[in-house]
Amino acid sequence: MAEIVLETKGLTKYYGAKPALDHLDLRVPRGCICGFLGRNGAGKTTAIKLMLGLLTPTAGSASLLGCDSTALTPAIRQRIGYVTEGHRLFRWMTIGRLEEFQRAFFPKQWDSRLFAEMIEYFELSKRQKIKHLSNGQRAQVSLALALAPNPELLVMDDPTLGLDAAIRRQFLEGMIELIMRQGRTVLFSSHILADVERVADRIVVIDKGVLRADCPLEQFRASVRKVVVHFENSAPADIELAGLLHFRRSERQLELTLVGVGDAEVADWAARAGAERFDFVEMNLEDQFIEFTASPHRRRLFQWEKA
Amino acid sequence: MALWMQISSGSESPIYQQLVEQISGAIARGELRTGDKLPAVRALAAELVINPNTVARAYTLLEQSGLVTTKTGSGTFVSDPALRHADAAQINVLTERMDTLIGRAVNLGLDRNALMALFEKRLEKFASTLDKGEAENG
Amino acid sequence: MRFLALLRKELRESLPWLLLAGLLLLGVGLLAVHSEARFAHMRHQHWSSHSGLGPGEIVNVYDLVRSPHLAWVAMWLAFIAPGLGLVLGVCHFWVPLFARTWSFLLHRSTSRMSILGAKLAAAILGLLISLGLVWTGLYWYACRPGLLPIPEPIQILVVGWIYIAVGLVVYLGTALSALSTARWYTTRIFGLAFAVLAAFVILLQWHPVWIIALMVFAIAILFVQTVAAFLSREF
Repeated sequence: MAEIVLETKGLTKYYGAKPALDHLDLRVPRGCICGFLGRNGAGKTTAIKLMLGLLTPTAGSASLLGCDSTALTPAIRQRIGYVTEGHRLFRWMTIGRLEEFQRAFFPKQWDSRLFAEMIEYFELSKRQKIKHLSNGQRAQVSLALALAPNPELLVMDDPTLGLDAAIRRQFLEGMIELIMRQGRTVLFSSHILADVERVADRIVVIDKGVLRADCPLEQFRASVRKVVVHFENSAPADIELAGLLHFRRSERQLELTLVGVGDAEVADWAARAGAERFDFVEMNLEDQFIEFTASPHRRRLFQWEKA
Repeated sequence: MALWMQISSGSESPIYQQLVEQISGAIARGELRTGDKLPAVRALAAELVINPNTVARAYTLLEQSGLVTTKTGSGTFVSDPALRHADAAQINVLTERMDTLIGRAVNLGLDRNALMALFEKRLEKFASTLDKGEAENG
Repeated sequence: MRFLALLRKELRESLPWLLLAGLLLLGVGLLAVHSEARFAHMRHQHWSSHSGLGPGEIVNVYDLVRSPHLAWVAMWLAFIAPGLGLVLGVCHFWVPLFARTWSFLLHRSTSRMSILGAKLAAAILGLLISLGLVWTGLYWYACRPGLLPIPEPIQILVVGWIYIAVGLVVYLGTALSALSTARWYTTRIFGLAFAVLAAFVILLQWHPVWIIALMVFAIAILFVQTVAAFLSREF
């Protein structure tokens, strides 16, 4: 059983009367890349800030590397890399000065060669001031600052928001490079599901402050499925099937979106419902995510047919 | 050994499955021969920018279907075709795929002869491995 | 090592303002000391002597001091010091809010108190060097034999330092306002308002004991509140 490097227990955060986060129970094991998914405003940044001790929970607790988040010791902080939302750095500093600053906090573990190589690879100069950098370049500096201390746990809050594909790829490369070292863990929140699919081995899905999934990526991919069921005559209007997320119905077909329903159960149900045959429809991660986080009473945004 | 693989993220097919298909395809077409070494897990992961566990999973699946063997410490190698076999489940999957294919051909208006001719023509691509397999199986 | 890095960062960040204030003071000071003609007419007025120190008597400081040169500069300092305090408070506590750099700054392998301590130390050092040093230097310069007809009394030096300390009070008030999480801007401004009020009250005193007591009181309250706000605040 792998060691848990990041854990939350009933983590709750209220802003006024509304819960930004509602009883989050999370366990991230060592050695994995964990993708933190959720729609905008779902509570991802709140959760990350709570984990890093920048916010205090209304209820529950969070801990990183075994240490409670509200009391992270300097020794623990030294083992954690953090890429903040928006990559906000000190605008007046040059990249070189920023390196000096950051380095002071990781005296024994700073890899200056790696930092220099990354800056060179990004075609930046240590004499450039942060305020003269584009968003993408600032993100690159942010990544270098986070990887050079060789952190045990890297937490990234939407690191590729608004960045172009090339820079997003660089971030993914950075994550892969880190994960290949012994015992490293990465937690990153993202909207780009294709990126998450490439590098994550676990995903956590948060929806409106509530945890919806915390499992290996393959498990999620295998669990959220669509089945098109064909009926000889008329498709039933009422469906009783555990794990049904939602369905669409046309005259002789039903399209069911299911979660965690095995092949055998589907076959069973289809037989009982009198189906002619059924076919599984493959979905990509983005479609699975959309279906999974859609509200049960969802309609399409635009209605094309009036039937 | 130059095996250039391409995976696409955001596809319906999981990444490990894409790897399995590309590698097994390469083996079937003779581009990878018996004894050839597959790229190291970490090297391939770094090159494709995917999680090493995904590569490991693909290699494990390939090993389970007898296409490759892993020697701890040395790496993963394409295995001897004589050791390959297909179990019932894999034959089922194959049959399903064939049905899809045939169905599509039918929809396109191909008749039996046209389909067979097409099939024979494509078979040529795999000639090297097929014929070798036949020779070994006598 | 870590504290020094933080201190260096805070100092470097506010350097332009420190230089501006220091140079302004220096400029005004040198101008005053060398403008014998300007102040000549005042020397012939009737001087009464008070034993008190009272910066509140700055209006009457031409009575208090025999030579008005540095008194005039002290009037400038009465604005420059609190002004610098305000600007430093903004630099250290408001700017990170708007630039959203708190998250980056707070994730340091050091205690939160250290991070605050570095800012306070930078403000104190900044005030000491850019104003305190310049002011003291000006006083020393003005006292050089032969420069001015009548030497400047030591009281004016102390008066200047009191203004610089008021600058610290304003700094803390600004910090407290920035750290306040109150929604309404009226309550938020409380910290700064308290500081400004305290400054006025201090400046109206003439008895040294009261001045020192009120100064210590104001700084202590503001300091404690600032620390409490910083340690408990959410970023």
